[in-house]
Amino acid sequence: MSSGKRITLQQAAEIVKNGSSLTFSGFTIWRRPFALVYELIRQRRKGLHLIEVNGGPQTEFLVGAGCVDIWESCWVGHELYGKYGANLSRKVGNKEILVEDYSHAEMLFRFSAAASGAPYAVTQTALGTDIHNPAYDTLGNAGLRDGRRIPKHKYRFTEDPFFGAGAQVMVPAAKVDVAILCVQQVGEEGTVRVNGQFYSDPEVARAADVTIVMAEEIVPEEYLRRDSDLNTITSFEVDHIVEVPFGAHPTGMFGRYDVDGAFLKDFYTRTRTQEGFDDFAKEWIHGLDHLGYLEKLGWPKMLNLKANTALKYSTGVKRGQ
Amino acid sequence: MNKEFAKPEEYGLADLLCCAASREVQDNEIVFAGTGLPMVAIMLAQKTHAPNLKLIFEAGTLDGRPPEIPTSVGDARCEMGASRSSGLHDAFSIAQRGYVDLGFLGGAEVDQYGNVNTTCIGDYLNPELRLTGSGGNPDINSFAKRTVFIMVHEKRRFTEQVSYITSPGWRVRNWPGGETVHRRELYGAAYRGGPSAVISTLGVFRFDEESGRIYLDTCHAGNTPEQIRDMCQFDLDITRVSGETLPPTREELHFIHEVLDPEQIFIPKVKPK
Repeated sequence: MSSGKRITLQQAAEIVKNGSSLTFSGFTIWRRPFALVYELIRQRRKGLHLIEVNGGPQTEFLVGAGCVDIWESCWVGHELYGKYGANLSRKVGNKEILVEDYSHAEMLFRFSAAASGAPYAVTQTALGTDIHNPAYDTLGNAGLRDGRRIPKHKYRFTEDPFFGAGAQVMVPAAKVDVAILCVQQVGEEGTVRVNGQFYSDPEVARAADVTIVMAEEIVPEEYLRRDSDLNTITSFEVDHIVEVPFGAHPTGMFGRYDVDGAFLKDFYTRTRTQEGFDDFAKEWIHGLDHLGYLEKLGWPKMLNLKANTALKYSTGVKRGQ
Repeated sequence: MNKEFAKPEEYGLADLLCCAASREVQDNEIVFAGTGLPMVAIMLAQKTHAPNLKLIFEAGTLDGRPPEIPTSVGDARCEMGASRSSGLHDAFSIAQRGYVDLGFLGGAEVDQYGNVNTTCIGDYLNPELRLTGSGGNPDINSFAKRTVFIMVHEKRRFTEQVSYITSPGWRVRNWPGGETVHRRELYGAAYRGGPSAVISTLGVFRFDEESGRIYLDTCHAGNTPEQIRDMCQFDLDITRVSGETLPPTREELHFIHEVLDPEQIFIPKVKPK
């Protein structure tokens, strides 16, 4: 049975409007929905509000392209292939972007709260740090805390009223318009099967108002339902599905292909300046579609990244010196 | 296996740091692993004196036994051999529940109370340089019983007071007022400990739990306590120095270079002179 959820990459990008709040699947340099990130850059989306459990290359591409006004998260970089987010750093220095810092666990708990319909989560993490410094409430300082999509406060502090465990910090639910996931398999009705670590994908999919799933392959729904205990996200939590093989490149996909470290290193090295970013985007994003991009990368590169099906990672990628 | 100490020409600084970090791990502990040198150090402990340690990767691998060193904690190599392959909610809930004994972390700046900055250089509101941000650094540091920091030692990085507290040391700020307090007063029932060591490229530092102040424990070969004190912006306590940092053993070097990181992803091999 087909559910009519299948759309194209272009249609998926059009669901994300100027000013939308947006989040993604994956973890740092793994399973990021790059084909759709590139499409948003081609369509010159503006004013995005990214709310991410953790950032990564997808943040750097969108920020470098000028698509992002607000970034709420805890970390950005390229792991081994680039030690920090140079585009974000440059835009912070030029005051071209607002950054709201939370800790990693706080971001995760914010999405867990949103995913369970709770207005906030309570935790004991990061107490005593400048993350909780009231002077560093960026969205508050900018007068953006309207209590609708952006919470009235960055934090509230409380004492445990039940067991007397002491200081607690309340963090607001992460309310987002759109979540874009990038996974191995999705069924025609939207059931998702993630292989390997599923990071914070179940939480972000449930928290968002609209969830778009980009998959390496769309498979018959019955196939996934035969072993429903292996599935990760429920059919009706997913609104739209798109089939995009190698759609996470240059990030990796467990069991399918490795991170393209050389590509990320090249991006990191070349995009310290805006001119460098624009040049990189001209070469790898504008004027191409997904197939054109894969063609430009070429068979030898993609075969090298392809994972060994028994080991789940590529044996061809040279990792060290 | 040969447990004799290696000669100075047989190892490099990265080997020494890796072995010093590995020796912070005790058997049967649950250890939170970050990407890079700490991952090699923990797996080295697993191969030598701590065969029963349990490894957690922040991305969601629980009780991992990777047959090959993962390139990052999201790497496919994390999963194979693990008890469970899960997600961040499990990793952070387990940590907040109090399971984690030890975490390895890094930082751009550390101060005399073990507060660490990975967010920005200079004033937060007008930064000279925006860095990566916190990641899980404050979380692991809040939840674990002990944390060990591995850092490049430069005078500008060892500050009296970090410009931004990303990760909580022993004396932290009580918000919203911001007065400085011992972390024990702030964390209440969640207080389990704090930073226990800083392993820099010059020496190994520890903390006095009561005063919260850092002191020098051992010097890496070729450095004197006075020289290391001169490389800190604060007045480093050098009255408790216990000696020289123990060099790697031949067994440890064998595991690092032949078994754990033969590809030299994180630890370069010293070329024989």
